[in-house]
Amino acid sequence: MLQKLRSKLVITPWLIWLGVMGLILLSGAIAGILVFWKGLGITNLTDRVPWGLWITLDLSSIALGAGAFSLCAGVYLFGLKRFEPIARTATFVGLIGYTMATLALILDIGKPERFWHSMVYWNTHSLLWEVTMCVILYLTVLLFEAMPIVANLEWLRKRFPRIAEIMSRVHHYAPILAIVGLGLSSLHQSSLGATYGVIKARPFWFKPEMSVLFMFSAIVGGISLTLFATMLSSRLTPKAKINDGLVERVAQFVGYLLIGYFYFRAWDALATSYTYDPGRTEGLRFITKGPFSFNFWIVEMLFGMIVPMILLLYKPTRVNRFWRMVALFLVAAGVVMFRWDTNITGQLVLMPYVAGQAITYTRYVPSLVEILSGAAIIAYGFTAFSLGVKYLRVVDHTLVEEEHEKVHVKSTEPVTI
Amino acid sequence: MAKENINRREFLKLTAVGVAVAAGTRAVSSTHASGNTPKGKHQWAMVIDQSKCTGCNYCTLACQAHNDISPDIQWNKVLEDGRVGDMQVYVPRPCMHCEKAPCVEVCPVKASYYRDDGIVMMDYDRCIGCRYCQIACPYEARSFNWEKFTGENPAVPEWGTPEVERRPRGVPEKCSFCYQTIDRGLAMGKTPGVDQEATPACVNVCPTGARMFGDLNDAESNVSKALHNNPSYRLRESLGTGPRVYYIPAQAPKEA
Repeated sequence: MLQKLRSKLVITPWLIWLGVMGLILLSGAIAGILVFWKGLGITNLTDRVPWGLWITLDLSSIALGAGAFSLCAGVYLFGLKRFEPIARTATFVGLIGYTMATLALILDIGKPERFWHSMVYWNTHSLLWEVTMCVILYLTVLLFEAMPIVANLEWLRKRFPRIAEIMSRVHHYAPILAIVGLGLSSLHQSSLGATYGVIKARPFWFKPEMSVLFMFSAIVGGISLTLFATMLSSRLTPKAKINDGLVERVAQFVGYLLIGYFYFRAWDALATSYTYDPGRTEGLRFITKGPFSFNFWIVEMLFGMIVPMILLLYKPTRVNRFWRMVALFLVAAGVVMFRWDTNITGQLVLMPYVAGQAITYTRYVPSLVEILSGAAIIAYGFTAFSLGVKYLRVVDHTLVEEEHEKVHVKSTEPVTI
Repeated sequence: MAKENINRREFLKLTAVGVAVAAGTRAVSSTHASGNTPKGKHQWAMVIDQSKCTGCNYCTLACQAHNDISPDIQWNKVLEDGRVGDMQVYVPRPCMHCEKAPCVEVCPVKASYYRDDGIVMMDYDRCIGCRYCQIACPYEARSFNWEKFTGENPAVPEWGTPEVERRPRGVPEKCSFCYQTIDRGLAMGKTPGVDQEATPACVNVCPTGARMFGDLNDAESNVSKALHNNPSYRLRESLGTGPRVYYIPAQAPKEA
């Protein structure tokens, strides 16, 4: 019996992959259970640094999920129909990203069983309330957008053809979903920046550019991650069938976007460097000359923007699949680093509230529980994506979607109520 | 026709349910005031005379006893300020009960809210523990319950007896100007700031009388008079939060 099983079970790279991911998920699940059981006291979060690794993970997954709304808007609203296969991948990546963010938030809040309070008790003044509502609504949109993808599941098609049929038909509403998704995403991607941007008590954050930077970096990073995941899966499995010309075109677009992102980021850093402003200057020094200078100059600016900008705009390197993949990965990593640097620096610089006292600094290093559970959330994302590639044809540029219905808008008819 | 009638009836029913739900939501959400601070009959404020404070920390201990606070947390923290001559000057820091409180504005669920009398309150049953208020507070006035406070309170009974419930694990907590004392005192016809029964614990316990408490709407209250007769300042005034805790400096006032 055992022998029979052994002869059937061939160790394939796929099984090793699932095994490794399973181990990370298991250790993270244990860490997560510990957090729910023992409370946040077992993390390295403090009253001075209440937002740590998990918040960065949360911000990054939402940012890197932004490829979904930007590419869907491009395909279904601006008529760039030929990029539809990439928008499908982006939608799936977005769905994974937003569920990752939800998982991280559930871990992070002190009263996870009250998560529904944000839907019942509204404080419309709160940026975080707005973000929560938008994320919940947008997750719903993503679920609908992903329905035609899930309908590709072989098992579902055979077992419940009727359901699969209905789910595929959701695709007819793709343009409408794209409009709603664009609205909701624009709102919460920029509001996540404003969440920091409105905090007057912390001058390093307090600036209107925060929303612009978060929005811009999310679009750049989100599209990059989608393209990177697309290319990586095409290298690893024959299940992923890609049209490299399409990917290359979008990658070139990312190169142009990077110019804009670089301009804003550099301009923002430069503009805040003039004159001494208590707190803000210390924060800027912290990222440009202090402990985070490597993160800022090397990971964010050089390898996160300048190098990929060149790699993606210079044709020989862009056409080369290896360099294109490197460039796309670097962009996504740079965006994650931007979130980490921004979130942590604003908290490490301590503004004195007693008049005349000096600005001081605090420390934060994530604890093992935070790292393990965070890694498990990332592993969940990886696993879900690879399963999607294998079973849902998430990366399949040969798949032709049904034509979605054209939306006819008649402006001549009078509106009667 | 019959079918249409049913449809219409159903439609009306649905509408009625919808309206009821909407009204219910409004009713629930309007129990907590938001936006601008509502101006009630009283406007409580605290005045702390730094020339009298000796940094004895009695206020912190009394606060911990009356509000049943874990020894790891201080709602009222006494910090060192500079020196005036030979004298060490202190800054006792309760919650500032800001007129434009950042914590109230950022709370996603309105767990932080204004009372009509200006006290910034926390609804510990509503809070989800996101800690945005801690991020937003310019005064580090909020402490998170990283762990559940179990066991005995070392400040009890020497410094007083608990008057409020312990907060659960997973929510931030802060000074409430001893609202329970104020409310009970007012119900007994006492005046906060004048009668001990209606005055916050830190004010009552202060051995040098460095703290005053009272109603800013009453020109004859001790806080109104003290502010009228002395130079005063507030912490990080430039942020525009409008703290209700005023300091009479031991020296010329300094801008935060």
